[in-house]
Amino acid sequence: MALSESAEQLEKSDPTLARYNRQMLWGPIGVEGQRKLKQSRVLLVGCGALGTVLANTLGRAGVGHLTIIDRDFIEINNLQRQVLFDQQDIADQLPKALAAQRQLARINSDIQVEAVVTDVNHNNILQHARGQDLLLDGTDNFETRFLINDVSIHLNIPWIYGACISAMGLAMVIRPGVTPCLRCIFETSPPPGMNPTCDTAGVLGPTVNMVASWQAMEAIKLLTGNVHALNRGLLSFDLWDNRYQQLNVARARDIADCPACKHHNLEYLSGKFSSSTTTLCGRNAVQISQPGGHRVDFEHIAAGLRAVGNPTFNKFMLKCPITEGRGERRREYELTLFADGRAIIKGVNDAAVARAVYAKYVGS
Amino acid sequence: MSSSPSIVYLDNAATSWPKPAVVAQAMSRFLAADAANPGRAGHRMAVAAERMLDRVRKQLTEFIGGTDPHRLIFTMNCTDALNIAFKGLLRAGDHVITTRLEHNSVSRPLQAMADAGFITLTRVGFSAAAGVIDPDDIRRAITPQTRLIALTHASNVLGTIQPAAATGRIAREHGVKFLLDAAQTIGIAPIHVLNDAIDLVAFPGHKSLLGPTGTGGLYLHTTVELKELTAFREGGTGGDSSSPLQPRQLPYFLEGGTPNTVGVAGLGAAVEFVQQHVPATTLQHERHLVQQFVDGVRKLSRLTVYGPLGEKAAENRVGTVSFNVEGYSPQELGGILDDSFAIAIRPGLHCSPYAHRVIGTFPDGAVRMSPGPFNTAEDVNKLVAALCEIAA
Repeated sequence: MALSESAEQLEKSDPTLARYNRQMLWGPIGVEGQRKLKQSRVLLVGCGALGTVLANTLGRAGVGHLTIIDRDFIEINNLQRQVLFDQQDIADQLPKALAAQRQLARINSDIQVEAVVTDVNHNNILQHARGQDLLLDGTDNFETRFLINDVSIHLNIPWIYGACISAMGLAMVIRPGVTPCLRCIFETSPPPGMNPTCDTAGVLGPTVNMVASWQAMEAIKLLTGNVHALNRGLLSFDLWDNRYQQLNVARARDIADCPACKHHNLEYLSGKFSSSTTTLCGRNAVQISQPGGHRVDFEHIAAGLRAVGNPTFNKFMLKCPITEGRGERRREYELTLFADGRAIIKGVNDAAVARAVYAKYVGS
Repeated sequence: MSSSPSIVYLDNAATSWPKPAVVAQAMSRFLAADAANPGRAGHRMAVAAERMLDRVRKQLTEFIGGTDPHRLIFTMNCTDALNIAFKGLLRAGDHVITTRLEHNSVSRPLQAMADAGFITLTRVGFSAAAGVIDPDDIRRAITPQTRLIALTHASNVLGTIQPAAATGRIAREHGVKFLLDAAQTIGIAPIHVLNDAIDLVAFPGHKSLLGPTGTGGLYLHTTVELKELTAFREGGTGGDSSSPLQPRQLPYFLEGGTPNTVGVAGLGAAVEFVQQHVPATTLQHERHLVQQFVDGVRKLSRLTVYGPLGEKAAENRVGTVSFNVEGYSPQELGGILDDSFAIAIRPGLHCSPYAHRVIGTFPDGAVRMSPGPFNTAEDVNKLVAALCEIAA
């Protein structure tokens, strides 16, 4: 077969390509596609469950330059699904981005991986997104997804949305000017605490793998120039109830008067719709304020938080002590949530940690 | 997040709000007509800007009982004024006396200089019940090396007014300079440079003077000689450009860079407004509101008010009082008052950690309510009613 012959020739001239043999054998990728992958630059925002599968798959597939941003450290309850991490990483107290970089270096030393340990927000995302060919969603919250959506429109870079909880998954390829954007589908972030999070409702490994593998496949199609093969729908499935759907969203862009992709009103990138953090005067505590007049339902949130702590609430506020990690890594927080969605996270003085706690236990 | 139009604003000790309409009008008018660079460019707009600055300098100098408007330095806020004073005046080996009531704008620059081994520092205490220092404690702390006494005119936690004149007299008797931090008092409690034997006054424009943020001042009495000072900030002064160094002429020596003319225009209108409404009357109004609050919460067994209590709780106060409710951290209480009742107060340490240690509220702090001239008895009723509901 001509293709495999040329692949073999190429492998001889460039031995680093040998590892991609089975991938290059797939006609639509071939040698040319492999070259394109090698020249690609991808930003992965979030390196938890989805992020590790994405980094693992795309790193092995030969994406030449991968930037991984994550603000968290690895915990024992991550290992059930976060495939790049192991117990040694926890012992070494590594941030997720650095642990992923270390592991990928063992897997494929021919690619470049940049690790950034930071809280992605509207002030810093552009510096990481400029010059990338693709943005990948490995986040756990809507606010950051809408931020990626704005950046995608602003810099005209495609991105791939992915989300999962328990056995349910959602994913979609978003290309500015071609497909609907995330805000054509979901107008704004849901009110804080309205949706369950993986830390309150749980998540199963296969759900994560399925969403991220789908995202990775679409990424490979896009980066190798196989645009015609891209999935144009919104994938939605429930692996437990055996429900698989591909929603036709093609007309969403025409129907919605989207503030972001139609009017270039990038409210998450400008900071207008972002949550803000304030380090409070007094004992180490950070306040997170949510924009826009939401009212949260304490009863609903308390029901979710019972999985992690012992929430109590009155008509004014909800309080829940939260303990993470064990031994030396044990950290104790106290979450105080008010009806407008603002929260005081006690036990932290780092805004990034407070935002992570909020995203995990309240949901943003 | 925009604030609700119906918010009850009780955080005037941080920044007064609302501002008199004349403040915004003056700023807007100045921006539209005369907002050129002041200084000696000579053209009519530059002259108009310079004249406006001079007029407000004179106005403020008279307001604090000073004698020479050239010794009124415009600053960006009170912190800026305090830094210009400390860093311009203090020399290696100086001893400084301050108090445990001070705001971090006094405590931190002095502590940093002490930690660097540049000065030595004594912090005198205060009575937690009365909320005032004893001037004799200051007298006893004076050593031959003492160069400066820095005192807040009123505690930003307790609202209690400090014995400025008595401290000034002690300083003068011992040949020590006396700096008054008027952050909580200017515009409401009388300050008189001559009568109170004050050498330096630092003040903000955005609190009881009702001016815009980004304004403030430092007044140096004639007892502070220009040769004693170094310029904390050096740069353009609009004149004498041939001199390689900052010209030794006040106020320019301490005013490098283009001043906040728009803000000063607003500040001038604010001072006029404050004078027309008579500071003593405003002070009485705020004291009534504080007393109303103290009386209103007396029956709440879970609520603790700090500082003077009883029927004369407000007698020696500006419009500021701090409290806590058992079972809630100050931050939680602040969150509830804002979220459920649209009442803006200030929880925490109020940048005065030493004062909170003395009153036993460190490290969580307390909740501070501080009415201003535009607050009403109804506002205080709303706060008291909210606290009754929360502390029930």
